[in-house]
Amino acid sequence: MAGSQNIGESSDNPVAINVTAMVDVIFCLCIFFMCSFHFKQLEGKIESWLPRGSAASLKSAEKVLLEDIRVVLQWDSENGATVRRVGNRPPASGDRELIQIVLSMAADYKNLNRPDFSVQIQASREVPWQDVVHIMDLLKKENIEKIEFTAES
Amino acid sequence: MSGRKKIEIQEDISPNLIPMIDIMFLLLLFFMLGADMGHRELEEVMLPKAWSIKEDKEIKGEKLDRLTINIYHRYPNEVQCGAYAAGRICREEGHWRIGIGGKDFSDPPRLETRLKEEADLFRTDANDSRSMSDRRIMIRADAASPYGHVKDVMNLCAKVGIYQIECGAARPGDKAVAGG
Repeated sequence: MAGSQNIGESSDNPVAINVTAMVDVIFCLCIFFMCSFHFKQLEGKIESWLPRGSAASLKSAEKVLLEDIRVVLQWDSENGATVRRVGNRPPASGDRELIQIVLSMAADYKNLNRPDFSVQIQASREVPWQDVVHIMDLLKKENIEKIEFTAES
Repeated sequence: MSGRKKIEIQEDISPNLIPMIDIMFLLLLFFMLGADMGHRELEEVMLPKAWSIKEDKEIKGEKLDRLTINIYHRYPNEVQCGAYAAGRICREEGHWRIGIGGKDFSDPPRLETRLKEEADLFRTDANDSRSMSDRRIMIRADAASPYGHVKDVMNLCAKVGIYQIECGAARPGDKAVAGG
Protein backbone atom coordinates (compact mmCIF):
# COMPACT_ATOMS: atom_id res chain seq x y z
CA MET A 1 0.00 0.00 0.00
CA ALA A 2 1.00 3.56 -0.45
CA GLY A 3 3.02 5.26 2.18
CA SER A 4 2.12 8.46 3.92
CA GLN A 5 3.00 11.14 1.35
CA ASN A 6 1.83 14.59 0.60
CA ILE A 7 0.82 15.98 -2.75
CA GLY A 8 3.50 18.21 -4.23
CA GLU A 9 6.41 19.72 -2.48
CA SER A 10 5.84 21.04 0.96
CA SER A 11 7.44 24.33 -0.02
CA ASP A 12 4.94 24.81 -2.90
CA ASN A 13 1.89 23.71 -1.05
CA PRO A 14 1.71 24.61 2.57
CA VAL A 15 -1.53 22.63 3.06
CA ALA A 16 -0.68 19.00 3.54
CA ILE A 17 -3.27 16.53 2.35
CA ASN A 18 -2.89 12.91 3.33
CA VAL A 19 -3.72 10.88 0.26
CA THR A 20 -3.02 7.46 1.72
CA ALA A 21 -6.63 6.70 2.52
CA MET A 22 -7.78 7.82 -0.92
CA VAL A 23 -5.19 5.67 -2.68
CA ASP A 24 -6.23 2.69 -0.56
CA VAL A 25 -9.88 3.14 -1.47
CA ILE A 26 -9.06 3.56 -5.16
CA PHE A 27 -6.99 0.37 -5.03
CA CYS A 28 -9.88 -1.52 -3.49
CA LEU A 29 -12.35 -0.17 -6.04
CA CYS A 30 -9.98 -1.00 -8.87
CA ILE A 31 -9.54 -4.56 -7.65
CA PHE A 32 -13.31 -4.95 -7.28
CA PHE A 33 -14.08 -3.77 -10.81
CA MET A 34 -11.17 -5.69 -12.31
CA CYS A 35 -12.36 -8.90 -10.70
CA SER A 36 -15.97 -8.40 -11.75
CA PHE A 37 -15.04 -7.49 -15.31
CA HIS A 38 -15.68 -10.10 -17.94
CA PHE A 39 -15.34 -10.36 -21.69
CA LYS A 40 -18.38 -10.80 -23.84
CA GLN A 41 -18.64 -12.58 -27.15
CA LEU A 42 -19.82 -10.72 -30.23
CA GLU A 43 -23.38 -11.78 -30.88
CA GLY A 44 -25.63 -11.83 -33.89
CA LYS A 45 -29.05 -13.16 -34.71
CA ILE A 46 -30.90 -15.30 -37.19
CA GLU A 47 -34.30 -13.85 -37.89
CA SER A 48 -37.22 -16.18 -38.31
CA TRP A 49 -40.95 -15.79 -38.41
CA LEU A 50 -43.48 -18.28 -37.18
CA PRO A 51 -46.56 -18.82 -39.31
CA ARG A 52 -49.12 -16.10 -38.67
CA GLY A 53 -52.13 -18.31 -39.35
CA SER A 54 -53.60 -20.41 -36.59
CA ALA A 55 -53.36 -23.57 -38.63
CA ALA A 56 -51.41 -24.69 -41.64
CA SER A 57 -53.31 -24.48 -44.90
CA LEU A 58 -54.14 -27.66 -46.71
CA LYS A 59 -52.00 -28.39 -49.68
CA SER A 60 -53.54 -28.55 -53.08
CA ALA A 61 -53.24 -31.63 -55.24
CA GLU A 62 -50.62 -29.89 -57.36
CA LYS A 63 -48.40 -29.17 -54.42
CA VAL A 64 -48.10 -32.72 -53.20
CA LEU A 65 -46.69 -33.91 -56.50
CA LEU A 66 -43.24 -32.87 -55.34
CA GLU A 67 -41.59 -34.38 -52.33
CA ASP A 68 -41.21 -32.03 -49.39
CA ILE A 69 -37.64 -31.00 -48.77
CA ARG A 70 -37.25 -32.21 -45.24
CA VAL A 71 -33.99 -32.39 -43.34
CA VAL A 72 -34.35 -34.94 -40.57
CA LEU A 73 -32.09 -34.76 -37.52
CA GLN A 74 -32.04 -37.58 -35.00
CA TRP A 75 -29.94 -37.98 -31.92
CA ASP A 76 -27.83 -41.13 -31.77
CA SER A 77 -27.40 -41.60 -28.05
CA GLU A 78 -24.96 -44.50 -28.46
CA ASN A 79 -22.48 -42.49 -30.46
CA GLY A 80 -23.43 -39.15 -28.95
CA ALA A 81 -23.89 -37.58 -32.37
CA THR A 82 -26.65 -36.30 -34.60
CA VAL A 83 -27.67 -38.36 -37.62
CA ARG A 84 -28.73 -36.16 -40.55
CA ARG A 85 -30.59 -37.15 -43.66
CA VAL A 86 -33.00 -35.75 -46.19
CA GLY A 87 -36.44 -37.36 -46.17
CA ASN A 88 -36.16 -41.13 -46.09
CA ARG A 89 -32.77 -41.23 -47.70
CA PRO A 90 -29.75 -42.79 -45.98
CA PRO A 91 -27.83 -40.57 -43.56
CA ALA A 92 -25.61 -37.96 -45.17
CA SER A 93 -21.90 -38.34 -44.53
CA GLY A 94 -21.20 -34.64 -44.48
CA ASP A 95 -22.42 -31.11 -45.09
CA ARG A 96 -21.61 -31.24 -48.78
CA GLU A 97 -23.63 -34.39 -49.45
CA LEU A 98 -26.57 -33.12 -47.42
CA ILE A 99 -26.72 -29.76 -49.14
CA GLN A 100 -26.28 -31.33 -52.58
CA ILE A 101 -29.41 -33.41 -52.05
CA VAL A 102 -31.32 -30.36 -50.86
CA LEU A 103 -30.13 -28.28 -53.82
CA SER A 104 -31.08 -30.98 -56.31
CA MET A 105 -34.58 -31.13 -54.82
CA ALA A 106 -34.75 -27.33 -54.85
CA ALA A 107 -33.82 -27.38 -58.53
CA ASP A 108 -36.84 -29.60 -59.21
CA TYR A 109 -39.09 -26.98 -57.62
CA LYS A 110 -37.49 -24.20 -59.63
CA ASN A 111 -37.86 -26.19 -62.87
CA LEU A 112 -41.59 -26.37 -62.21
CA ASN A 113 -41.75 -22.60 -61.63
CA ARG A 114 -42.23 -23.08 -57.93
CA PRO A 115 -39.63 -20.78 -56.39
CA ASP A 116 -41.70 -20.44 -53.22
CA PHE A 117 -40.59 -23.80 -51.83
CA SER A 118 -39.49 -24.15 -48.27
CA VAL A 119 -37.12 -26.48 -46.51
CA GLN A 120 -38.41 -28.21 -43.41
CA ILE A 121 -36.24 -29.11 -40.47
CA GLN A 122 -37.52 -32.02 -38.45
CA ALA A 123 -35.40 -32.62 -35.39
CA SER A 124 -35.88 -34.78 -32.33
CA ARG A 125 -35.90 -33.13 -28.91
CA GLU A 126 -32.44 -34.40 -27.95
CA VAL A 127 -30.64 -32.93 -30.94
CA PRO A 128 -28.25 -30.15 -29.85
CA TRP A 129 -29.39 -26.68 -30.87
CA GLN A 130 -26.02 -26.12 -32.54
CA ASP A 131 -26.77 -28.84 -35.12
CA VAL A 132 -30.14 -27.28 -35.95
CA VAL A 133 -28.57 -23.84 -36.32
CA HIS A 134 -25.86 -25.37 -38.49
CA ILE A 135 -28.48 -26.69 -40.93
CA MET A 136 -30.14 -23.26 -40.98
CA ASP A 137 -26.73 -21.72 -41.63
CA LEU A 138 -26.03 -24.11 -44.53
CA LEU A 139 -29.41 -23.33 -46.10
CA LYS A 140 -29.02 -19.58 -45.72
CA LYS A 141 -25.60 -19.75 -47.32
CA GLU A 142 -27.33 -21.27 -50.37
CA ASN A 143 -29.86 -18.42 -50.29
CA ILE A 144 -32.66 -20.67 -49.10
CA GLU A 145 -34.54 -18.35 -46.79
CA LYS A 146 -37.80 -20.19 -46.26
CA ILE A 147 -37.09 -22.61 -43.46
CA GLU A 148 -39.80 -24.32 -41.47
CA PHE A 149 -39.65 -26.32 -38.29
CA THR A 150 -41.85 -29.37 -38.19
CA ALA A 151 -42.96 -31.57 -35.37
CA GLU A 152 -41.54 -35.05 -35.13
CA SER A 153 -43.73 -37.62 -36.82
CA MET B 1 42.54 21.53 -3.44
CA SER B 2 39.78 20.22 -1.45
CA GLY B 3 39.98 16.92 0.33
CA ARG B 4 37.56 14.04 0.11
CA LYS B 5 34.11 14.85 -1.03
CA LYS B 6 31.59 14.14 1.60
CA ILE B 7 28.81 11.88 0.36
CA GLU B 8 25.46 13.05 1.56
CA ILE B 9 22.75 10.46 1.93
CA GLN B 10 19.33 11.79 1.38
CA GLU B 11 17.09 10.08 3.85
CA ASP B 12 13.87 11.93 3.24
CA ILE B 13 12.66 10.40 -0.04
CA SER B 14 9.19 11.52 -1.09
CA PRO B 15 7.90 9.87 -4.29
CA ASN B 16 5.50 11.91 -6.38
CA LEU B 17 2.17 10.13 -6.15
CA ILE B 18 0.23 12.38 -8.51
CA PRO B 19 0.84 10.40 -11.78
CA MET B 20 0.00 7.17 -10.02
CA ILE B 21 -3.25 8.59 -8.70
CA ASP B 22 -4.10 9.88 -12.17
CA ILE B 23 -3.57 6.46 -13.69
CA MET B 24 -5.53 4.81 -10.90
CA PHE B 25 -8.43 7.17 -11.56
CA LEU B 26 -8.35 6.36 -15.27
CA LEU B 27 -8.29 2.63 -14.56
CA LEU B 28 -11.14 3.04 -12.12
CA LEU B 29 -13.17 5.00 -14.64
CA PHE B 30 -12.58 2.37 -17.34
CA PHE B 31 -13.67 -0.53 -15.19
CA MET B 32 -16.64 1.32 -13.73
CA LEU B 33 -17.95 2.20 -17.19
CA GLY B 34 -17.37 -1.34 -18.42
CA ALA B 35 -19.02 -2.99 -15.45
CA ASP B 36 -22.41 -4.59 -15.95
CA MET B 37 -24.64 -3.13 -13.29
CA GLY B 38 -27.82 -3.65 -15.26
CA HIS B 39 -30.43 -6.32 -15.00
CA ARG B 40 -29.17 -9.79 -15.87
CA GLU B 41 -31.00 -10.08 -19.17
CA LEU B 42 -28.25 -11.92 -21.00
CA GLU B 43 -27.09 -15.09 -19.31
CA GLU B 44 -23.68 -16.42 -20.13
CA VAL B 45 -24.36 -19.02 -22.78
CA MET B 46 -22.15 -20.59 -25.42
CA LEU B 47 -24.09 -19.56 -28.48
CA PRO B 48 -24.24 -21.76 -31.58
CA LYS B 49 -21.92 -20.77 -34.40
CA ALA B 50 -23.25 -19.63 -37.75
CA TRP B 51 -21.78 -17.67 -40.64
CA SER B 52 -25.05 -16.26 -41.93
CA ILE B 53 -25.91 -14.17 -38.91
CA LYS B 54 -26.87 -10.53 -38.96
CA GLU B 55 -25.11 -8.12 -36.69
CA ASP B 56 -27.24 -7.47 -33.66
CA LYS B 57 -27.05 -3.71 -33.21
CA GLU B 58 -29.46 -3.72 -30.31
CA ILE B 59 -26.88 -5.31 -28.08
CA LYS B 60 -24.65 -2.30 -28.62
CA GLY B 61 -26.91 0.07 -26.78
CA GLU B 62 -29.87 0.70 -29.03
CA LYS B 63 -33.38 0.51 -27.70
CA LEU B 64 -34.33 -2.98 -26.60
CA ASP B 65 -37.88 -3.61 -27.70
CA ARG B 66 -37.79 -7.36 -27.45
CA LEU B 67 -37.90 -10.04 -24.84
CA THR B 68 -34.82 -12.21 -24.42
CA ILE B 69 -35.29 -15.84 -23.44
CA ASN B 70 -32.16 -17.66 -22.33
CA ILE B 71 -31.84 -21.44 -22.46
CA TYR B 72 -28.80 -22.60 -20.54
CA HIS B 73 -27.48 -25.35 -18.33
CA ARG B 74 -28.17 -24.98 -14.64
CA TYR B 75 -25.24 -23.84 -12.56
CA PRO B 76 -22.94 -26.44 -10.92
CA ASN B 77 -24.18 -25.45 -7.46
CA GLU B 78 -27.72 -26.42 -8.51
CA VAL B 79 -27.18 -29.72 -10.31
CA GLN B 80 -24.23 -32.07 -10.44
CA CYS B 81 -23.80 -32.97 -14.09
CA GLY B 82 -20.72 -35.01 -14.96
CA ALA B 83 -21.32 -34.80 -18.70
CA TYR B 84 -21.56 -31.02 -18.77
CA ALA B 85 -18.63 -30.61 -16.41
CA ALA B 86 -16.54 -32.80 -18.71
CA GLY B 87 -17.49 -30.73 -21.72
CA ARG B 88 -19.75 -33.41 -23.18
CA ILE B 89 -23.36 -32.91 -24.25
CA CYS B 90 -25.87 -33.17 -21.42
CA ARG B 91 -29.19 -34.70 -22.49
CA GLU B 92 -30.94 -34.45 -19.13
CA GLU B 93 -33.83 -32.12 -19.86
CA GLY B 94 -34.15 -31.20 -16.20
CA HIS B 95 -30.62 -29.86 -16.18
CA TRP B 96 -31.54 -27.07 -18.57
CA ARG B 97 -33.27 -23.87 -17.62
CA ILE B 98 -35.40 -21.43 -19.55
CA GLY B 99 -34.76 -18.03 -18.01
CA ILE B 100 -36.03 -14.51 -18.54
CA GLY B 101 -34.32 -11.64 -16.77
CA GLY B 102 -32.55 -14.00 -14.40
CA LYS B 103 -35.77 -15.76 -13.34
CA ASP B 104 -36.64 -19.39 -13.96
CA PHE B 105 -39.42 -19.98 -16.48
CA SER B 106 -38.80 -23.67 -17.13
CA ASP B 107 -42.37 -24.42 -16.09
CA PRO B 108 -44.39 -24.22 -19.36
CA PRO B 109 -47.58 -22.71 -17.85
CA ARG B 110 -45.54 -20.00 -16.14
CA LEU B 111 -43.68 -19.26 -19.36
CA GLU B 112 -46.91 -19.16 -21.30
CA THR B 113 -48.41 -16.67 -18.84
CA ARG B 114 -45.36 -14.45 -19.14
CA LEU B 115 -45.34 -14.65 -22.94
CA LYS B 116 -49.04 -13.85 -23.06
CA GLU B 117 -48.49 -10.77 -20.91
CA GLU B 118 -45.76 -9.64 -23.27
CA ALA B 119 -47.83 -10.40 -26.35
CA ASP B 120 -50.82 -8.47 -25.02
CA LEU B 121 -48.73 -5.28 -24.92
CA PHE B 122 -48.16 -5.36 -28.69
CA ARG B 123 -51.40 -6.79 -30.14
CA THR B 124 -52.24 -5.60 -33.63
CA ASP B 125 -55.81 -5.27 -32.41
CA ALA B 126 -55.77 -4.11 -28.82
CA ASN B 127 -59.36 -5.22 -28.28
CA ASP B 128 -58.82 -8.73 -29.55
CA SER B 129 -56.69 -10.90 -27.29
CA ARG B 130 -56.42 -13.50 -30.04
CA SER B 131 -54.92 -11.15 -32.62
CA MET B 132 -51.27 -11.40 -33.60
CA SER B 133 -48.64 -9.63 -31.53
CA ASP B 134 -45.75 -7.59 -32.89
CA ARG B 135 -43.67 -8.40 -29.83
CA ARG B 136 -40.23 -9.64 -30.81
CA ILE B 137 -38.57 -12.51 -29.02
CA MET B 138 -34.88 -13.34 -28.93
CA ILE B 139 -34.07 -16.95 -28.09
CA ARG B 140 -30.53 -17.27 -26.76
CA ALA B 141 -30.04 -20.99 -26.43
CA ASP B 142 -26.80 -22.68 -25.52
CA ALA B 143 -25.27 -24.53 -28.47
CA ALA B 144 -25.50 -27.82 -26.58
CA SER B 145 -29.03 -27.32 -25.29
CA PRO B 146 -31.66 -29.81 -26.48
CA TYR B 147 -33.63 -28.59 -29.47
CA GLY B 148 -36.79 -29.64 -27.61
CA HIS B 149 -36.55 -26.64 -25.29
CA VAL B 150 -36.23 -24.23 -28.20
CA LYS B 151 -39.16 -25.92 -29.88
CA ASP B 152 -41.25 -25.61 -26.71
CA VAL B 153 -40.54 -21.88 -26.55
CA MET B 154 -41.42 -21.46 -30.23
CA ASN B 155 -44.64 -23.42 -29.76
CA LEU B 156 -45.67 -21.24 -26.83
CA CYS B 157 -44.84 -18.10 -28.80
CA ALA B 158 -47.03 -19.28 -31.65
CA LYS B 159 -49.76 -20.17 -29.18
CA VAL B 160 -49.94 -16.67 -27.70
CA GLY B 161 -49.65 -14.97 -31.10
CA ILE B 162 -45.98 -13.99 -31.18
CA TYR B 163 -44.46 -14.70 -34.56
CA GLN B 164 -41.29 -12.60 -34.73
CA ILE B 165 -38.54 -14.80 -33.39
CA GLU B 166 -34.81 -14.21 -33.44
CA CYS B 167 -32.25 -16.86 -32.60
CA GLY B 168 -29.01 -15.79 -30.98
CA ALA B 169 -25.85 -17.04 -32.66
CA ALA B 170 -22.19 -16.11 -32.85
CA ARG B 171 -19.94 -15.94 -35.87
CA PRO B 172 -17.28 -18.69 -35.83
CA GLY B 173 -13.85 -17.46 -34.92
CA ASP B 174 -14.95 -14.12 -33.58
CA LYS B 175 -12.63 -12.82 -30.95
CA ALA B 176 -14.08 -11.93 -27.61
CA VAL B 177 -14.46 -8.23 -27.00
CA ALA B 178 -14.56 -6.24 -23.82
CA GLY B 179 -18.01 -5.68 -22.53
CA GLY B 180 -19.99 -5.42 -19.44
